[in-house]
Amino acid sequence: MKEKVHEILESDLLESYLMGATNDVETLQAEQFISMYPEVREAYDELQENLETFANLHSVQPPEGLKDKIMARIRKETKGTGKFLKYSAAASLALLLSAAASYFLWNQNQDLHKANAIVNKKVDTLQEDLREQLEDVRNQFIVLQNPETKKYEVKGNKKAKELKAVAYVNPVKRLSYINVSKLPHLPEDQSYRMWAEVNGKMVNLGIIEEADQKLLALPYSDDNELGYITVEPKGGNQSPTPENIVANIAY
Amino acid sequence: MSTLLEKHIVELLRERNEKAISLLYEHYGATLLGVANKVTRDENLAQDVLQESFVKIWKKSHTYDASKAKLFTWLFRITRNTAIDKLRSVKTKSGKEIQIDVSDVYNLGVNSTKPELIDVHENLGRIESKYQIVLDALFFQGMTQQEASDELDIPLGTIKSRLKIGLRELKKIYSMAILLTLPLNLIHLVIS
Repeated sequence: MKEKVHEILESDLLESYLMGATNDVETLQAEQFISMYPEVREAYDELQENLETFANLHSVQPPEGLKDKIMARIRKETKGTGKFLKYSAAASLALLLSAAASYFLWNQNQDLHKANAIVNKKVDTLQEDLREQLEDVRNQFIVLQNPETKKYEVKGNKKAKELKAVAYVNPVKRLSYINVSKLPHLPEDQSYRMWAEVNGKMVNLGIIEEADQKLLALPYSDDNELGYITVEPKGGNQSPTPENIVANIAY
Repeated sequence: MSTLLEKHIVELLRERNEKAISLLYEHYGATLLGVANKVTRDENLAQDVLQESFVKIWKKSHTYDASKAKLFTWLFRITRNTAIDKLRSVKTKSGKEIQIDVSDVYNLGVNSTKPELIDVHENLGRIESKYQIVLDALFFQGMTQQEASDELDIPLGTIKSRLKIGLRELKKIYSMAILLTLPLNLIHLVIS
């Protein structure tokens, strides 16, 4: 221990620490030695005394007015900085938080914009669908309720005796509908198709499913022949195969 | 410097009472200006340093720990480091190398010295210059003992011993000077 103390006192750690010339590690070291070894504490206290003595010998009378300048600066510091520092720290924090919040909200806003666009598009589509469906239902209602509307039974020919359907035709409104109520069973690779004459051409109106039970709109035609149902291969043909006609839709 | 006054000042500092700075200035201002003067060797610069030091003392007052240093030691550290920083910044601005010439360290004007310390100042001459140079290099020039050894071209061991002897001599002179500045009747009292 004696050796350690000797080593410390021989080094200029204490003097450097006294001057405030030590780095963080050296400062900790010096403070530890001072609290650990009474001899080191004693040496340090003596150095402090000597420093004050030596410095006193070199004191210089300050000029008039220097104290006022210093006191003015301290007052400015107290008024401004104390509160200013607190407020500026708070303001910095607030700014940081608001920046983070802004970024978060901006991101959220972008997402909401995107979601909103999607929803709007969906609403538009639904509206259009609904409008079409409503128009359809309205027409169906008009046709079915109209006294001018005539009901025609559609029957299958020899190839599909069980086929049953009802056609509704209103020559005044020039509207026609068909409701297929029964279809004979078909092999898997075949399907029923409905055809109608539009501008002198036979047009494919689509596959009729068994037990569809839907009122389907048919393009109106003046010449009593609205169209017919055929049996076609599943893939479908561009034009009907007349040999495969199973029912004529006529009034 | 009485410990009682020190305690009072520290208390005022803690309470953020401006009176603390006023008292510090009254009791340590001249000494700290001397420190700034020694380091910068420029009266105007030293006054700037003293102003900045007091602002720092005010701002850092919560960091003062009486168990780690005497009040003066703490004030000295702040002032000295402020002066060294100031000197460096001036050096960088002017681009000129400021010579630290240890041989003229006691060209301090006697008139600017605290009147009650004039005797001491005159007595400083009694300390052999070889000790004064070492004390000055270590306390004011910011040198470590090794640096002083290199700068002054004196072996490290000699630096150490001159520092010890110099301080001892200083103490003797200072205690004598205190007696000399005391009123005569008080000295009689002390002696009897």
